[in-house]
Amino acid sequence: MSLNIYGQQLDSRLLIGSALYPSPEVMKQAIIASGSQVVTLSLKRQNPLAQSGEKIWRYIQDTVQQSQGFLLPNTAGCKNAKEAVTLAKMSRELFETDWIKLEVIGDDYNLQPDPIELLIATEQLLADGFKVLPYCTDDLVICQRLYELGCEVIMPWASPIGTGKGLMNPYNLASIRQRLPNATLILDAGIGKPSDACIAMEMGFDGVLLNSAIALADNPVMMAKAFATAISAGESAYIAGTMPERQTAHPSTPTLDSPFWHNPEHKS
Amino acid sequence: MKIYINGQVFELSHLAAPINITSALKATLPDSQQQQSFALALNGDFIGREDYCTTFIQSNDSIDVLFPIVGG
Repeated sequence: MSLNIYGQQLDSRLLIGSALYPSPEVMKQAIIASGSQVVTLSLKRQNPLAQSGEKIWRYIQDTVQQSQGFLLPNTAGCKNAKEAVTLAKMSRELFETDWIKLEVIGDDYNLQPDPIELLIATEQLLADGFKVLPYCTDDLVICQRLYELGCEVIMPWASPIGTGKGLMNPYNLASIRQRLPNATLILDAGIGKPSDACIAMEMGFDGVLLNSAIALADNPVMMAKAFATAISAGESAYIAGTMPERQTAHPSTPTLDSPFWHNPEHKS
Repeated sequence: MKIYINGQVFELSHLAAPINITSALKATLPDSQQQQSFALALNGDFIGREDYCTTFIQSNDSIDVLFPIVGG
């Protein structure tokens, strides 16, 4: 089974960020170890102290080339549709891709997406030929509106960016999966542990996008492998079909012809 | 003429008008940045590379020059 991003089939269901690693070399090793074929990056004014500019750009290009992957620029930091559309156009020219991870932040405290500006930007970018991967909250109606606009991929959050809190609202996420069976759903942001990613895949999500959980691990390379394994396990479990949850105990060992301790006369 | 590049003010009175984006960048950006990959917006609107020579700037215009950076 493969992940479908606007018709592009990918073997890996893990999309990975390029930020926050202890060094560019660790970033490269972790991305390759994850098996991910989609790497997110961004555009900013140049700060000599940040991991930016030509050197890190070459590192990311080299890494993506080695993994036969794709770049996914984001619009991080944008607070309205106009900013996001401008940044998306700049990214398309520089990174030579029409994929855009569309982020429009509505609240500085929890970095919650602004659903209204997100819809405005999505509509404009889709009309301009972009393949939009919108980052949104786990609100079913917003996801439905994005899908109706033409987004083939939708990326609701698990919890706020960088919190590592995992799936805050499993019911909401399950509802989105159930109501949008044909959308490619990628859980984005807030994932802390491989088990979070596994749960999302068991729910039928198509993929997981994360950064901090790998980059901030004590051993990012090992954690990257752990996430790849967890995502694969969750996907297999979803395909295999999990058993229905039951309210009462059911013995797994057959009770027919039980020996003496089930004799009514036997007293324990 | 005064313009802003990435929020920093630059005086371009020494350049002959009209000043296009290519000339403005040449006069303001360090060599190390001019040789890098970047994309540009003028007053919040994207300007494609092929239009730098034919896009002219006015006083108080604001140019954003953005470079690749790591991201999540």
